[in-house]
Amino acid sequence: MSPGALLFMALAWIFVLGLTFWSFARILRAQAHFAPDGIGPAAPPVAGRAEGPGHG
Amino acid sequence: MPSDAQTRQSNEAWGSRIGLILAMAGNAVGLGNFLRFPGQAAANGGGSFMIPYFIAFLLLGIPLMWIEWGIGRNGGRFRKGHIPGMFGAIWKHPAAKYLGVIGLVIPLVVLSYYTVLMSWTLAFTWFSITGDYWGLTTQEQMSGYLTSYQVIGDGSVHAPWVPIFFFVLSLGSTIWVLSRGISAGIEKLARIGMPILFVFALVLAVRVMFLGGGENGVSPVQGLQFIYQPDFSRMDEPTVWLAAAGQIFFTLSVGMGTLQTYASYLSKKDDIALSGVATAATNETAEVVLGGSIAIPAAVAFFGVAGAMQVAQSGSFNLGFVSMPIVFQSMPFGQVFGAMWFGLLFFAGITSSVAMATPIVAFYREEFGYRRETVSWIVGLVAFCFGLLSIFWFEYGFIWEWDYWAGTFGLAVMAFVEVVLFMWVFKPETAWESIHQGADIRIPRIYKFIMTYVTPAYLGVILLWWGATEALPFLRLEGGRGAGGAIPEGGEVYVHVSRLLILAIGVFFAIMVRIAWKRNRYDDRAGFVEVEDTFLGTIPGREVAR
Repeated sequence: MSPGALLFMALAWIFVLGLTFWSFARILRAQAHFAPDGIGPAAPPVAGRAEGPGHG
Repeated sequence: MPSDAQTRQSNEAWGSRIGLILAMAGNAVGLGNFLRFPGQAAANGGGSFMIPYFIAFLLLGIPLMWIEWGIGRNGGRFRKGHIPGMFGAIWKHPAAKYLGVIGLVIPLVVLSYYTVLMSWTLAFTWFSITGDYWGLTTQEQMSGYLTSYQVIGDGSVHAPWVPIFFFVLSLGSTIWVLSRGISAGIEKLARIGMPILFVFALVLAVRVMFLGGGENGVSPVQGLQFIYQPDFSRMDEPTVWLAAAGQIFFTLSVGMGTLQTYASYLSKKDDIALSGVATAATNETAEVVLGGSIAIPAAVAFFGVAGAMQVAQSGSFNLGFVSMPIVFQSMPFGQVFGAMWFGLLFFAGITSSVAMATPIVAFYREEFGYRRETVSWIVGLVAFCFGLLSIFWFEYGFIWEWDYWAGTFGLAVMAFVEVVLFMWVFKPETAWESIHQGADIRIPRIYKFIMTYVTPAYLGVILLWWGATEALPFLRLEGGRGAGGAIPEGGEVYVHVSRLLILAIGVFFAIMVRIAWKRNRYDDRAGFVEVEDTFLGTIPGREVAR
């Protein structure tokens, strides 16, 4: 395989695979606290409930 | 107050975000990823083709994804999962709903012939398992075998009922999945079908790389060289840039009306910006990494570079249905690999075909209150009747005529109309804000400019070019149509019938749209009333049972 063909193949693959992994990584990270898939809790944590002034 | 139609019909929802993305990607990944892409790359400059290809992906593909998801989700705010309603939600003008009729005609026409093409893959999966074509080891023999299947009444190999049987099976399975609904049908199929498709493709790509080479003794790596070897002398040819843009356009399944319907089941709290990128990227992985590593390297290893070039130029279906079976016959466990190849094409096909009828089902459910199951099976019956025409009149080029006007030129027309409506009539600011509602990423601001000016201009150039070089000559019955080649002798009457049928379907849907608007007392100038957001979204708990 010529260096030119190898270079173009590598660049094309890196671009599409990189975009795919990046987008799915972002999606899974966004779902960490709010995942209908069952990855995380069913609902986002409610701010202030655990650290409110009443817990002193 | 919402109209009767808006309150009567409960909406559907996606079970999960990953399921939604897999279904969207399943819609996009089709036969073209594995058959059309490698041939286009090899025929248009190899590695240097990838430059205009990725430029088109960034300037045309991804923006169109966001625009279609945006139009769909905006339509969902008014419980409109069909294009006439979505266009009406964007443009408060009586003409908007009639423009949207294109988004009902294209899916029905494409569904009816696409399920025929899909039935070939199902039939060849079976023929591979049973070893039915074993022993046919030349291009001529396999070509005759394929023709005997395609041309009903040829009867030299297959009985006439065989293609009809596989067509009924393909269409029936499509409609059965569709009738089960968004979450329990389409999403479930995508969750099963997409991983199978990727595993089959990966196994085949690895197996092909270890092919020893046929009588030519050429390494399959030479096939990758054949696809990616840059030929910069072709870069100044407009046809190469248009071929790249065309490939991006077809591979992402834009202009069909199906992505919009899928997106209409999302709420404004759901992300569409990142999901749109993930869908497009998944499709590109299937196309560039896997699609480019199977058929052409296998053909090069077996037939040599010159032979593979001939095969690629003779058409995508010859590559997939004539050359690949010959390659499989030379492999140990070839029947298994043959079944995997046609099986992956079948899964690529069915995850796309189930999407095609969704805009029509949404239209009749939302506007007339019909049950999903009833509409699905009626659409299936209509597609069956039209599909039979594609089977019985195959030799006269009926199927290629529909493929060109609905599945090629029609998509570009539809995409151009929706970009103009969303970015110009709806206004860039509103469109930009709409796409960013609930977004997990901020889209680079340059894309607002690209979506407003560059994407419509790109599409306009494609439309003008295709109009001048293809559509007008085809309309005058000059030259061949895409995969169909020239019109056969005596085929003119079938060409006219096929065109008249498309027009008749358009008139029928225009009348249905008019009846629906009158029946539900919609006021085009006032627009629709927004429905409660709690009925929409990807959270199972928010799904409203019928």
